[in-house]
Formats: sequence, structure tokens, C-alpha cells
Amino acid sequence: MIVKHKKKRNLLETIFLVEILKGMGLTLRRMFSKPVTCQYPTEKRQPSLGFRGKHALVRNPHTQGSKCVACLRCVTICPSQCISIRFHQDEENGPRLLDSYEIEALRCIYCGYCAEVCPVNAILLTESYEYSSYDRQSIFFDQEKLLANWDEFMDQGNHNPHTYVNPFWRPRGCDIKGLAAPRRKAVPEEWTREGQIVGRKHKAAASPAPPEQGAKQ
Amino acid sequence: MAEINFTKLLVHLVVLVDVVLLHVAYATYFERKVIGHMQMRMGPTRVGPMGLLQPIADGIKLFFKEDIIPAAADRPLFYAAPIICLVAMLSCLAVLPFDPNHVLADLNIGLIFIFAMSSLASYGVVLAGWASNSKYSFLGGMRSMSQVISYEIAMGLSLVGVMMMTGSLNLGQIVAAQAASPFGIYAIPQFIGFFVFVVSMLAETNRVPFDLPEAETELVAGYCTEYSGIRFSLFFMAEYIGMIVMASIGTICFLGGWNGPFTVPYVPFFWFLLKIYAIMFFFFWVRATLPRYRYDQLMDLGWKFLIPLALANILLTGLMKTVLE
Repeated sequence: MIVKHKKKRNLLETIFLVEILKGMGLTLRRMFSKPVTCQYPTEKRQPSLGFRGKHALVRNPHTQGSKCVACLRCVTICPSQCISIRFHQDEENGPRLLDSYEIEALRCIYCGYCAEVCPVNAILLTESYEYSSYDRQSIFFDQEKLLANWDEFMDQGNHNPHTYVNPFWRPRGCDIKGLAAPRRKAVPEEWTREGQIVGRKHKAAASPAPPEQGAKQ
Repeated sequence: MAEINFTKLLVHLVVLVDVVLLHVAYATYFERKVIGHMQMRMGPTRVGPMGLLQPIADGIKLFFKEDIIPAAADRPLFYAAPIICLVAMLSCLAVLPFDPNHVLADLNIGLIFIFAMSSLASYGVVLAGWASNSKYSFLGGMRSMSQVISYEIAMGLSLVGVMMMTGSLNLGQIVAAQAASPFGIYAIPQFIGFFVFVVSMLAETNRVPFDLPEAETELVAGYCTEYSGIRFSLFFMAEYIGMIVMASIGTICFLGGWNGPFTVPYVPFFWFLLKIYAIMFFFFWVRATLPRYRYDQLMDLGWKFLIPLALANILLTGLMKTVLE
């Protein structure tokens, strides 16, 4: 740590209040600078990549239903236990069929674990954050509402449904081979940041350290 | 004859009070805008164009708010305190000369009268602190009393130099004498006095950095903690009128009153108002910049620094006067 000691002021500086005058000069200059205020209801801030907002279930374009396979991973990992799933099986060892998928969004802490753990990219958190309400019922999301949330989010047209990726879909440092097949998605170009592992090629380009492996061989 | 004077006086009085109260309302708007921009915010923007109707909305809100009186309060004193404050501050306005022809009461002891009235206003503050029966109010009232007593002395002494140079306590005559002096304003020959005056002006009006009587972080709102609605706004008005009065004294005694580099036709009080606005801006500028003083530092500054400085200024002024004559 670098400790910067304040310079001792001399008598002249004390008499003429130089430090106070400097401070007042600063405030005067700031008065003519542009305010940083974002006038919220009229101008809206663009959420950053990986913003964790309103929940949505991705609509499967083939079945028009959700992609959920009722594996219950999200239910298990949810710290606030706000997700509940009901399912049934028509035959023993057959596919699980989803009956209901409910999120009590008032209890949600927006950790994004459910989106991170989902093997089929069914649940995710969108960038929409304006959904406050006067009653609890409208913030209790059932499957219909969650699918509608996805449609609404896609209708805004900011994202391609095939490439929309939240960082929780593929956390940093996570090897692509360790992910389930539906999660190995193409990532939009602007999302490839430093330290982000996006395919083998990108990894090789980002860390030029193969001589170690060569030495071993 | 007497009746005509009475009507004229009444009109003058009503106009004066209205203009000053309008200034008080828009001083709050000016303050919020200035401090907002200094902190890179915007200040009020919602009510009316550029938020210009904000003070009116605030006034309406304060007027219709519930008037809560604590059960343990001393009621007569609780009612009287804000009125004492406001009346004392308003009566200061009577002796202020806004231009050569507009002064409500041309007193020969104008300066002393203003000192007396602004000290009287601190009675209101102390009584409010006492009558509220709350520890925050009480501490705020106590602090206000000791602060006003300490800085009243420094302020009075800082103006003695001006009195010596003018030989009068009449505010109109002070301005006239100033116009005749070589520099035109007393702030240059009386620069020590002016400095002491500016610092004690901030302390007298309980403004930052000497806002200990209403230190939000320690005392909630100080002496007006228990006040609400219209009673609170009376204190608020008294504080801002106090600021205007102090700005006027600064203008009259040090900055040349209604005289300026050139005369503006039809608006004889143009320079006076401009100087008042400049000093008000200085109040807000200081508020946006400086943190609050600690209590013992405040007392040290008042008693150990400003009063000796003001006494030295009197000595110097006297010496200069004898040498020059």
C-alpha cells in the first residue's frame, strides 16, 4: 500500500485559506459540468450484460411450450426456495411431463443459480426490471406468465432468441466440455470478454501458454 | 398629512413583506438548483418548467400538513417560539435601505437595531428547544444560543471598523459615506473586518459549516425537530429572512449598498439586489463545499480567533484614521 501523507501547509496557505478556496473552486467548476442524473421514467438505463431481472421460461419454437424437463435442479439449488414444480410420468422410467412451474418472484433474491444450473436453458433471467405491482398475485409467476415474459422480452427485439446468453448460462472459467449439449451455444461477439471461455479456439488465443504442455510431452 | 403617511407606510410595508417572502421562496429553489448542480445533480425539475413552481408546491404542502404538537410540550411557548423568530427577523427588514428613497424606518441606530433583533430571534430558537421537551430540540436550542452569543460579539466588533470610518449607525448614511470614500466600498480598506463579518454571518444564520444547532447527523433537525407543517415553515422562513438580512448588512456595510459602477435607470435597487444575490449564492456555495465544524472548533474559532482579529481591526482602523488625519 502506498501511503500518501498530506503536505504540511505553510503559514501563508493557512492565512489565505488556500485549501478551502481550492475546494470552492472545485464545486464552482462542477456547477458548470453536466449532471450525471438519469431521469428514470423518461430516460431508461440500458441494463448491462448479464443483468438479472424478471424471470422467464424459454418458449420452445417446436412445441410452443417450455423446454423444461422437470429435472428439479433449479428447485434444489434455489436458496430462497421460491420455485415449485409439479410433474407426472405416464409410464415408469418414461419422460417427466411438466404439470406446473411456479416462481414466487417476491421471494426471489435474483442470484441466477436456477439459470446457471438448468441443463436445457429453460429458465433464465431477462433484462426487464419494471414489473412492480400493487398486488402480490401479478408477481407470482406460473408457467403461462413465465412463457409470456419470454415472449415479451423477445418482442422488445434487443436479442436474438438463439444467441441470447446470460453469463449464468455459461459461467466464467467453466469448461465447455463439462456443459450439457443444449448449453454449448454460440455466444454473441460482444460477450467475449477477457477471461471468458468461449470455445477452444478462444481459449488458445486468450492464454498463450502451451509450452508447459509441450515440455511435458 | 399624518393619514397620507400612514397609507403610504402600509403599502410600503405590504410590498416589502411580499417581496421578501417571494425571495425566501425562490431562495430555496435557487439553493436547491445551485447545490444540485455543484453535486452534479439537477435539482428540482418536475414542477413547472425547470421546476420553477417547486417553491409554491412546497409552500402549499407545508401549509396543509398536519400540525403535530408533542403531548409533553409546553404549549404556549411552543406556539410562541416560531412567531418570535419570524417577527424578529421581519422587523429587521424595516431599517434596511434598498435605495436612497426606500427605507421603511430611517433609524439612527439601524445597525444596533438589527443586532438586537437578530439576537432576539435566537430567543425563539431557544424557546422552541425548551418547549418541545425533546432532547434533540433542547440540545439544538442550547447550541444555537451559545453559538449566536459567541458570534454576535465577533460580528459586532467587525462592524465597529465600519462605524468608525463612517461615524454613523444609520445604514443609509453608511452607504452614502462609502460612496464618498476613495475605494467606493469598505470591503477593501476593511478587509479584515469583512472576513470576520463573512465568517460570523455564516455562524449567525446557522448555515453550513456552522449549522450545529440543526446538525442532521447528530440532532435530527435540532430545535425544530418537533415542529411540523406551518409552524416548521415559520422557522424556515425566519432562517431564510435572516440570511437575506445578513446579506443586506454585508452589502450595505462592505459592498457599497445601492451604488454600482453605473446607475441603472428606473431600477434604483438593481445593484443592491445583485449584491444580495451574490452573497446568497456564496451561502449556498459554501454549503455545497464545506463539511460541518466540530463544536469545540466552532467555539475556538469564535472566541480565540475571530474576536481578537476583529479587535485588531478596530485598533488598525483607529491608527489609520489618526495617521491620515
